[in-house]
Amino acid sequence: MPLEEVTPRIRTFISESFLDGDPGGELTESTPLLEWEVLNSMNSALLLNFLREELRVDVPLSSITAANFRDIAAISKLVSSLMTVPAEGV
Amino acid sequence: MEFDWSSNQRELYAGMSAAVAERFADYETSADPELVRLAWKDAASIGLTGLCLPAEHGGAGLGALDTALGLEAFGHSCSDMGLVFGVAAHLLSCAVPVGEFGTDEARELLAGMAAGDLIAGNAMTEDEAGSDVGRIRTTATPSGEGYLLNGEKSFVSNAPIADVFVTYAVTDPTAGFLGISAFVVPRELAGVVVGPPLPKMGLNGCLAARVRFEDCLVPAGYRLGAEGSGGAIFQHSMGWERGCLFAAYLGLMERQLTECVDRVVGRRQFGRKISGFQAVSHRIARMRQRLEGARLLLYRACWLLDQGQPDVTAIALAKTAVSEAAIANSLDAMQLFGSAGYLAGTGIEEQLRDCLPTTIFSGTTEIQLELIARGEGL
Repeated sequence: MPLEEVTPRIRTFISESFLDGDPGGELTESTPLLEWEVLNSMNSALLLNFLREELRVDVPLSSITAANFRDIAAISKLVSSLMTVPAEGV
Repeated sequence: MEFDWSSNQRELYAGMSAAVAERFADYETSADPELVRLAWKDAASIGLTGLCLPAEHGGAGLGALDTALGLEAFGHSCSDMGLVFGVAAHLLSCAVPVGEFGTDEARELLAGMAAGDLIAGNAMTEDEAGSDVGRIRTTATPSGEGYLLNGEKSFVSNAPIADVFVTYAVTDPTAGFLGISAFVVPRELAGVVVGPPLPKMGLNGCLAARVRFEDCLVPAGYRLGAEGSGGAIFQHSMGWERGCLFAAYLGLMERQLTECVDRVVGRRQFGRKISGFQAVSHRIARMRQRLEGARLLLYRACWLLDQGQPDVTAIALAKTAVSEAAIANSLDAMQLFGSAGYLAGTGIEEQLRDCLPTTIFSGTTEIQLELIARGEGL
C-alpha cells in the first residue's frame, strides 16, 4: 500500500479513536503525538492492534521508538516501509 | 479448531502437578524470608523458575501456552498463592524481558534466574504511575559508561528477598510513553535501597516493598533494548504476565472446586446431603461455568502469543475473565463452607484474600475493559 493511502487510514484511526473525531481539525501529519500525549501506553497498544488487524503490519518491538511514532508522517513512513518487506519464507 | 491438549502437554501438566504436590502438599503460607527462599529453591528444583527461558540459559524453553500449563499445575497443587505469584512474576515480568531484550552482559544473569538463585522483582509501579506507564518519574541520566537512576518504586513484588530488579525510567522526557527505558539492576549496586516488607491482606507468601534508587549507577550493558523502548518492553512482558501468570488462578479454582464438591457432598443438613439443595448445586455449576469460560479465553490468548500475535483484546478478555471468576468463585466457596470457610487456617478465606488483588495487578479490570471497548471502536 503506497504512502498516500497509508497516511489517511492512520490519520482517520487516530482522529476517531483518540481525539473524538478531531472536531477542531487540529490533527496534522506533524502533530507531535507523543509530546502531546495523544499516544500514551494504552493508545499505542490500540494503534499497534489497528496496524496488525487492519493494515496487516506487525511492527517489531525494535521499531517502536519515539522517532518512528512521533507523528503521523513518521508512523506512515514506517508502516509503508514494513509493508514492502516480503514475509519470511516467501 | 482443536480444543484438546497434546499428549506432551498432558504429560507436562501431570508431571508438574505431581512434582508440585510432592513438595508443596503440606506447605503452609509463610512470610518468613528464610522460609520463602527455601520454598523458592523447591520451586526452582522442578523447573518453575525457568519454564519459558531459553534452554541455553537453564530454562525449559517452553512457549506461552505450555508455560501457562506449568503455572496452572503450580497453582493447583500449591496453596501458597503468594509463592506461586512471586515465582510467576519473577519469570514473566523480569526474566522474559532480560532474555528477549538483554545484552550478553544482562543475559549472564539469566542462568541464576532460571535456577532460582537470583530472585527478581519487577520495579515499575510508582505512587503516581500504575496503569499509565507514561507517568513514571524515575529518571535514568547518561553518566560515563552507564546511567544514573533516581526515583522510587512504590510496590515491588519479591523486593525484600530480591537479588535483581527489572525497572523502568525516563530517558527522554519529551517522548512520553516512548521516552522510557528498561534496565536490569542487581540489588548489590550502590544506591539501591529496599524498604521494609509492606503489610498486605493477601498473597502473603510474596513479600513486597518499596524500592528507591539514589544516584544508582547502572552499566549501559544492563539496559534492556534500545533507549526509549522500555514502554514497549513493559507491554510485552505484561502480555506474558496477563496470559501465563493468571493460569495459576485456573489451578487455584480447580482445586477450590474439588474442595467445594467434597464439602457439599460430605455435609448433611435436614437429613440429606446439602448438594441435594438446588441452591447449592447450582452454585457449584456456576463456579464450573466461570472457570471453563475463563480457561478457554486464557488458553486462546496464550496460543495467540505463541503464534506471534499478541492480541491486546484477547489478553484483556482472558485477564478480566480469570480474575473476576477467581473472586466470584472464592466468594461462592466461602458461602458453601459457611462458618468453617470464614475461619482463618482452613484455606477458604486465604483463597479469597489471594484472589482479590487479581483485578488490580498486571493492569486493572478498568483498563482491560477500556482496551476491550476501544477494540470495538468505542
